Amino acid sequence: MNTIESTVRAREPQSRTGEPPHSALLALYRTMQVIRLTEEELARCHQRGLVHGACHTYVGQEAVAAGVCAHLTREDVLFSTHRGHGHALAKGAHPRALMAELLGRETGLSRGRGGSMHLFSPEIGLMGTSGIVGPCILQACGGGYSFKLLKTRHVAVAFFGDGAVNNGAFHEGLNMASIWKLPVLFICENNQFATEVPFSYSSGNPSVGARGELYGMPGFELDGNDAITIHQVAGEAIARAREGGGPSLIECKTYRTRPHAEGMGDFTYRTRDDVDAWKLRCPIARLRQRIVESGVALAELDAIDADVKALVDDSRRFAEESPFPAPESATRHVYCESPSPPRSLIRNRPPAAEARRISFAQATHEALAEEMKHNPRIFVMGEGIGKRGGNFNTTAGLFDLYGHERLCDTPICERGFVGLAGGAGMTGTRPVIDFMFADFVLDSVGEIVNQIAKMQYMSSGRLKMPVLLRGCIGIGHSAATHHSGSYYAMYGQVPGLRVVVPSSPYDAKGLLKRALNCDDPVLFLEHREILTLKGPVPSDEYEIEFGKAAVVRPGTSVTVVALARMVHQTLSVCDALESEGISVELIDPRTVLPLDVETILESVAKTGRLLIVDEPPASCGFSAEVAARVVAEGFDDLDAPIQRLTGAFAPTPYSPPLEGAMAPTPGDIASAIRRLMEE
Amino acid sequence: MAVEIRVPRLGWSMEEGVFVRWLKNDGDLVKVGDLLYELESDKSTQPIEALDAGMLRIPKDAPAPGTVVAVGALLGHLAAQGEEIPSESIEHHILTESPFNNEPHAQPGRVVSHASIAVSDGSERVVSSPRARRVAEELGVDWRRLRGSGRSGRVREHDVRQAVNKGVFMCESVPITPRRRLIAERMVASGQRTAPVTLTTRADATNLVGLRNQFKATGVAARAPAYTDIVAKLAAMVLEQHPMLAARWEDDRVVSPTRDQFNIGFAVDTDEGLLVPVLRDVLGKSLARIAEESADLIARARSAGLTSADQQGGVFTITNLGAFGIDAFTPIINPPQTSILGMGAIRREPVVLGDGQIAGRDQIWLSLTFDHRVVDGAPAARFLQSLRTAVENPSAWLLRTE
Repeated sequence: MNTIESTVRAREPQSRTGEPPHSALLALYRTMQVIRLTEEELARCHQRGLVHGACHTYVGQEAVAAGVCAHLTREDVLFSTHRGHGHALAKGAHPRALMAELLGRETGLSRGRGGSMHLFSPEIGLMGTSGIVGPCILQACGGGYSFKLLKTRHVAVAFFGDGAVNNGAFHEGLNMASIWKLPVLFICENNQFATEVPFSYSSGNPSVGARGELYGMPGFELDGNDAITIHQVAGEAIARAREGGGPSLIECKTYRTRPHAEGMGDFTYRTRDDVDAWKLRCPIARLRQRIVESGVALAELDAIDADVKALVDDSRRFAEESPFPAPESATRHVYCESPSPPRSLIRNRPPAAEARRISFAQATHEALAEEMKHNPRIFVMGEGIGKRGGNFNTTAGLFDLYGHERLCDTPICERGFVGLAGGAGMTGTRPVIDFMFADFVLDSVGEIVNQIAKMQYMSSGRLKMPVLLRGCIGIGHSAATHHSGSYYAMYGQVPGLRVVVPSSPYDAKGLLKRALNCDDPVLFLEHREILTLKGPVPSDEYEIEFGKAAVVRPGTSVTVVALARMVHQTLSVCDALESEGISVELIDPRTVLPLDVETILESVAKTGRLLIVDEPPASCGFSAEVAARVVAEGFDDLDAPIQRLTGAFAPTPYSPPLEGAMAPTPGDIASAIRRLMEE
Repeated sequence: MAVEIRVPRLGWSMEEGVFVRWLKNDGDLVKVGDLLYELESDKSTQPIEALDAGMLRIPKDAPAPGTVVAVGALLGHLAAQGEEIPSESIEHHILTESPFNNEPHAQPGRVVSHASIAVSDGSERVVSSPRARRVAEELGVDWRRLRGSGRSGRVREHDVRQAVNKGVFMCESVPITPRRRLIAERMVASGQRTAPVTLTTRADATNLVGLRNQFKATGVAARAPAYTDIVAKLAAMVLEQHPMLAARWEDDRVVSPTRDQFNIGFAVDTDEGLLVPVLRDVLGKSLARIAEESADLIARARSAGLTSADQQGGVFTITNLGAFGIDAFTPIINPPQTSILGMGAIRREPVVLGDGQIAGRDQIWLSLTFDHRVVDGAPAARFLQSLRTAVENPSAWLLRTE
């Protein structure tokens, strides 16, 4: 039905039937003028040196943002790109706040943390523009997923350029929206250049609109400079989405008549004639003409122009007069500053007597089941976590209780559903991504590091990001290199993340419950080789705080710091060493980020010796971080050089003798401790 | 409004003192004039009296007895009954534990470690762990002389503690007491801020010895005056005629004492170091009274019983090293005074008399250090000359009519 030909033909005849009323046309016109004049003023500000970084203007494309956003309420959410000024304004951001942001001021949309490419105003549903091409598509799917789960009539809209449509996020996002019938609009603004690379060169299929059908959703290919047509088609698509009719893809062919970014050369990849020709097709002039033809007095339009001009002038003055943010606030909002209170008792140490012994996997299952019961906003996504109950029984039995929307099996598209989780976390639900193996989630590292981890900060604390990403790590059982990685040190470098690596069933339950009540994104990494390990776990509910290490075994001669399986490997040699007169104090930090250095320092102050046992390779790793912190803060307590015992620097091999050479063994640990005692 | 109890400055140069003990308990009702606590200043221990009334509130983190506290540090509050005391932790500026603290687990004071004499010749580098060095410093062990038990001979904490147990390789060092530090500061200050010149002269002390013997033989005074007492009295009388030698240097003026201010300090050697108690109004007191007062001051100096007041207000100081057989030396001026007299040993020596005969006479060297900023050499010499005459003829001076 919606082939290129049929869609385009269907919309080309400028049927006046169903045309919006005058008031709507004037509102469209006004929005477009606000965008145009604001952008032109920002270009001037850029020239005057008032804009400190990039400035990507929207001049020439105003019809798209105005036409789509005319149908959105404050509760509908919008996700956008690096060229997002127009979307922000059309969604209702004040030009004052936009201009102040570009001028780096405290009063800016992102309080000076974002600039041109990172605009946030969650209060009006502007959930962020992004310097990365693609994620907005996935985040809009997340917004749509939240609305579907929460049974609202809100919609999510992704604006993206032609540069995004040959990116995996487009494919993964459209497919997910289609299979789950998400209330999402995908608006492709095809301005014909991805930065400076022509769409005609980079796309084998010259139509974007035509791809909608291929993903199982309506697709449209529109004249992107025709505000009225865009307004009509978007209105229908949004109404359809609100009614549960699922997503639509709308391609708007348009053109930006200013350079990719202010100050960049424009005529290496296109000609001045091309640009001039498109300027003649100015969407604002065109709409003005149509409005005049429909009988509105010119004076009325001129009044709007004058009004907008005054608004923009006032906004620039406001921006220039606004204060810069205080430098000491630069590290604020990395994490949620007004966290929700814990739902259960905080119990960082296990109770004295506890008879019940359950496995690590049972403990985390219990934690998830309890929290899903408490909180209907929690949903789980992953491969085989629905009816099947998870590769490691992480969700066994829950599908029967909560159904497919809260236990959502996914296609194998890690980037897609992790990106979706980010959008869902921002819009009121609490996604749990069960990615089975930490190696798999590497495909979505951009979504984790660039999006999920940074959203709270970029939005200056106005967004929360309650996303739990869980899965297995660790070497063992000849899983070989794509099922054996740990990677926690890598995530430990990312501001905004919480990285949890538990070693016992008790800790696993308490920390998972904390993660499910935490407003920050959490990576919860479970060592596969200890999933069946049993330990005492109280049957009542409790949480364990992040950043509180456990003293697994007190001692006096030497401090050993270890995580996950290495805790158990170390524990297995402590008695033997004790009989030799070496009393080991074993510390499990439990969370890599935040890291409880204090407990380690206290221990080293007692023992004077530190060995860090870590399964992954040493370089730039967790062990390096612990060693550096202890040297810096506890130098005078050290009676011997800090030692590290870590995994070999190689991908994990398959064959048992090869695999056995990778990670520290109990024998290695005992030897390392004895050597350290002789230092 | 609760009244803050803060560490007062006792004497002109006090920067810190040792909080000795509370004389009242937390919660006691204190009246104006009650003794609140004892504070050890540079030279004495003083009870400090309350200038306000109220209920004594001693915070939990108040300085413990024996703690060194800075002047101005907050010790506690005097509150009206039922009044809330500010709850924040008080900043009492505890500087370090007192070296006088006798608590069994008290940290020793900061040990000044002298470079070891035993490091062979520097050719052999002794390696040590940071912890071993820290513990060595805390316990006063010269780790450079230890043989380390760690890999490649590294000295470890264990080695240091063993050395302590065996009592070997301890540093030849003692903690610097506040008193020692004060003496040091004043000596250095004197050297830096005055222009000292020392004059020496030999006086015939035969009559001085005779006078003292008369006191001893007759028992007219409860306590026979010491030579220092007699010289103090004589010095005050001579100083009255040479007041510039008793003047004190201030920023833009030189101030001479009034007649009742001829207060003479004298150096007393104690276990804790040098102390200089002051005999008040020496001009106005009899020799017998001076002898009693000086004996009392010496006794109190040696039993840590001197107050700050006992040591203030001197215009001239006498230091007597005669007991050690010293003849002449160069005493250091006690600022802000202008001069100091050093007395040497009295020795019976052969002297050629005026008629050419040689006779055995008691001789004493007098060493006068004066501040050349205040007086020139000639007036100082004239003073010393007068003093010598007085020492040689004490009875005439002491019996002169006004």
